[in-house]
Amino acid sequence: MSRSSRTVVRVEKATPSTVVPRANPVLVGVVAWCLPGAGHLLMGHLRKAVTFFAVLIAMFAIGLAFGGRLFPFQLGEPLVFLAAIAQWTLAVPRVIAAMAGLGAGNVIAVTYEYGNTFLIVSGLLNALVLLDAVDLATGRKAR
Amino acid sequence: MTTHLGVMILFAACVAIVFGTLLRDTPHDELRLAVRIFGGLVAGAYLVGWIMYITL
Repeated sequence: MSRSSRTVVRVEKATPSTVVPRANPVLVGVVAWCLPGAGHLLMGHLRKAVTFFAVLIAMFAIGLAFGGRLFPFQLGEPLVFLAAIAQWTLAVPRVIAAMAGLGAGNVIAVTYEYGNTFLIVSGLLNALVLLDAVDLATGRKAR
Repeated sequence: MTTHLGVMILFAACVAIVFGTLLRDTPHDELRLAVRIFGGLVAGAYLVGWIMYITL
């Protein structure tokens, strides 16, 4: 093989520095934290945004309707503290519910623990939705 | 709807929809994954429930 017929293939590896941001990730993260689906809406994913908003708000409302409790930050009670962090991942619904006097927690209700589960899991799922929206904004995730 | 089964089905449906939407990009794929996750959660809970009933 002659020197001139060689084909040189240069493979460039994608590194974080070469990823082009599509939107301000901080802004996307903040709006996604405030309201479920808002980050995806900002990134132009309307269908996903509507789905996340509808399902996560429904889960939060079901949790309140079941008599679940909005947990305060109590460092003395580690599980309560972690539950509070999870619930605060849905910022605006959490604030509105607290201002409306909801989420006192009906301990004697049959569905009390179910309510807590729905409230906590809706927050944790929104944390995953938030991270997905930030990945879309930074370009780490395609589409 | 305050039965264990009813609440579990409602919970599984919500979680399955979110994960299906999060992990796939086309509506068809999202629905397929959501149905699989929903089925897995309900069947798993049923199985674990029976195992606990038999063994405990």
